[in-house]
Amino acid sequence: MLELKNIRKYYNPGTVNEMCLFENFNLTADKGDFVSVIGSNGSGKTSMLNILCGSIPVEDGQILMNGEDISRLKEYKRNRKIGRVYQNPAMGTCPSMTILENMSLADNKGNFYGLGKGINKGRRAYYQELLSRLNLGLESKMDVKVGALSGGQRQAMALLMSTLTPIDFLILDEHTAALDPKTAELIMELTDRIVKEKNLTTIMVTHNLRYAVEYGNRLLMMHQGKVVLDIAGTEKQEMKVDDILGKFNEISIECGN
Amino acid sequence: MKKKVLAVVLGTAMTVSLMACGSKDVKVAETSEEKIYTVGISQFAEHGSLDNCREGFIEGLKEAGLEEGKNLKVEVKNAAADQGTAKQISDVFVSDKVDLICGIATPSAQAAYNSAMNTDIPVIYTAVTDPKAAKLADAEGMPAGEVTGTSDQLPIKEQLEMIREVLPDAKKIGILYTTSEVNSVSAIETYEKLAEDYGFTIVKKGVSQTADISLATDEILGGVDCLTNLTDNTVVNSLATILDKANEKKIPVFGSEIEQVKLGCVAAQGLDYIELGKQTGKMAAEVLKGEKKASEMKYETISKPGLYINTEAAKNLGITLDEEFVNSAVESFDSI
Amino acid sequence: MDIFVTILEQGLIYGILALGVYITYKILDFPDLTVDGSFPLGAAVTATMITNGVNPYLTIPVSFLAGVAAGVCTGLIHVKCKVRDLLSGIIMMTALWTINLRLAGTANVPIFGDDNIFDNDLVNKVFSGSLASYKALIIVLVIAAVSKIVLDLYLKTKSGLLLRAVGDNANLVTSLAKDQGNVKILGLAIANGLVALAGCVFCQEQRVFEISSGTGAIVIGLASVIIGTSLFKNIRFFNATAAVLIGSVIYKACVAAALKFFEPQDMKLITAVLFLIILVIGMDRKKKVKKNA
Repeated sequence: MLELKNIRKYYNPGTVNEMCLFENFNLTADKGDFVSVIGSNGSGKTSMLNILCGSIPVEDGQILMNGEDISRLKEYKRNRKIGRVYQNPAMGTCPSMTILENMSLADNKGNFYGLGKGINKGRRAYYQELLSRLNLGLESKMDVKVGALSGGQRQAMALLMSTLTPIDFLILDEHTAALDPKTAELIMELTDRIVKEKNLTTIMVTHNLRYAVEYGNRLLMMHQGKVVLDIAGTEKQEMKVDDILGKFNEISIECGN
Repeated sequence: MKKKVLAVVLGTAMTVSLMACGSKDVKVAETSEEKIYTVGISQFAEHGSLDNCREGFIEGLKEAGLEEGKNLKVEVKNAAADQGTAKQISDVFVSDKVDLICGIATPSAQAAYNSAMNTDIPVIYTAVTDPKAAKLADAEGMPAGEVTGTSDQLPIKEQLEMIREVLPDAKKIGILYTTSEVNSVSAIETYEKLAEDYGFTIVKKGVSQTADISLATDEILGGVDCLTNLTDNTVVNSLATILDKANEKKIPVFGSEIEQVKLGCVAAQGLDYIELGKQTGKMAAEVLKGEKKASEMKYETISKPGLYINTEAAKNLGITLDEEFVNSAVESFDSI
Repeated sequence: MDIFVTILEQGLIYGILALGVYITYKILDFPDLTVDGSFPLGAAVTATMITNGVNPYLTIPVSFLAGVAAGVCTGLIHVKCKVRDLLSGIIMMTALWTINLRLAGTANVPIFGDDNIFDNDLVNKVFSGSLASYKALIIVLVIAAVSKIVLDLYLKTKSGLLLRAVGDNANLVTSLAKDQGNVKILGLAIANGLVALAGCVFCQEQRVFEISSGTGAIVIGLASVIIGTSLFKNIRFFNATAAVLIGSVIYKACVAAALKFFEPQDMKLITAVLFLIILVIGMDRKKKVKKNA
């Protein structure tokens, strides 16, 4: 379970450019929830993810992970239980290292990075089996540097790597935005499969309304640091893209866009 | 592709032009019955005094009957102040089987000694201030191996006498030095030891780089009657700054060699590096001809320092110099 | 023939330094100027130990550890005090000047008369006769080869993989629940350990500690890394560390050639020209690879 309680976040505090983003922001994601988050630019979607993961500090408020207060915990320590995939496919992999090396690195998450062999040859077949499920032909390129792969291939790798070890939460930050429609579709399907297989509590920020509607059991719409729409269950299932789009336009008109 | 060609062309052009102006052919006598000696000179850096040493060295060899182009072949290499390069230079001399290596300045002398250690090639050095501290000679001044030469130790006693002569009432002598220059540190020790005999106290101020000189000068000028210089590279290179500030406060500055007096120091009991080089050249000739072994020769210091005076500098400071004193100078300058 | 021995000897000694620079410059992507201070640090430690009669072979691990300490300091300045990478190195380099001077006592400490790793009873017994003139080369070769092999092995460990990752994509290290700052400190420690080790060997080959020996060490290191990695990029037989060692030998060979044909004061210009040519040729290759991909 993930909880954000009374979060207060200012940008440039104490300067003329001070800007309030969140004032008493609250959000709770139950175990196994797959929450899609949509909203216009600057509505605070990505900031929310960054606050969750500890990439940016908050002025006030609590962040709870499975009931435990992690507000003071450093980003890298929180990541033990969190997997995160970014919009930029380059963020989730090491370009100058091979696929095998990348997979081995990710496979050791949560353990000590000591002087043991970096690559466990016995796991090679397992990695290949995981990669073959992507149908991208990566299983035959184990010794190819990741930098030579396409954006879609890299993003698939990033997704696979971030969920390779047992984690509880998956944070997806517009992870299909930089991909072509066909690859994006493939990555979304893969995401859904992994989330279901591992029963991960997932928060996905997306600009693709169709994905927001199609995937997940809960949908949030954010606007100016507030949740303006929060639907789940059957209500969510009956939701259509057009309904969302209508709601979206309403908000945008209010802002004068 | 275009870029690549350009780079190569550019590179070649630069290199060729360098080759054209850079390389100096070594003159070798074509018809000569007697043995031609080969001497490798390893100079540590490009520097006025060191250049004088080198010229004097070749001159000294000539005076002893070994002349370039007749019975002597000289190869000069300069390490551009890099210790690794200095070692490489002397290694090359050793592999070329020269008859003698001359190391100018401490690092080059040490490198030459190191390279030639297990061979029978003798090493002659010059411009090494403290051969004992450099481990080129033992505590008695006897060579550590087949290595000897001349030291450019400052004539500190004579310098103190001279300052007393020019400034009868002075009490405090200020010295600026670089903390990382071994030669300066040992010279100051000698100054401190001898100063009392002449009624002086030494005020020293260490710097670590050129940038510190200006501040250090201001500070030291506040509490001294005069300044005296060592052969400290960092300080000497900034001599113009020091003289400027000292003249403003009418504080005389004494030098340690002729070049400093030319620049505006009042006077110096200094070394003539050409003379020092000549003396070294003569020692080298003795070794080359087989008259003596380097290991049997104590290192030498310059027999008699020369007095250099700048009358213009003295006049500007309102110092009247004794006529007899002026006449005893090897050379006196009347302009700055 | 002897000249080649000298080139190899000095090339390999600076090669050890270049291995350290390779870690910071190529792997960590951290322009580490500490090198100018940690190289003479190794030499200062060595000269001090040897003049005090310590077994010369002990200088090797002790110098390495001294370098590690220097690297850790640079890392702490950068990571904990949040000082920019270049400045952290400059701060440490400046501090080390004094530390080196204090350690050694003076700016120039000759160790002519004492035993060193190249010249002691054991070595002289093993390398007698015709081998004697190659003993220094063989010993340097062994030290350089061991450094290279150990570094290669290390880079294949879990910790090594993480080190490579932090320079490549620091964000991933955070994602893997590891503190990227600590990994950087570790990398700087190993790198400066190698640099100080090179200083230790250099000091004993030169038989003198000289405070100025560190000036420009970073330039030689960078030159070796760039020459090595650019020239041997597409040759499979040489991995990066081997390429770096060879790069350093090539650099020293260029110095020797320049000494032969040019005035030494022209060295820097020739080096610059060499750099330019190698860099430009290297760049062209990179473009081709990209096009093919």
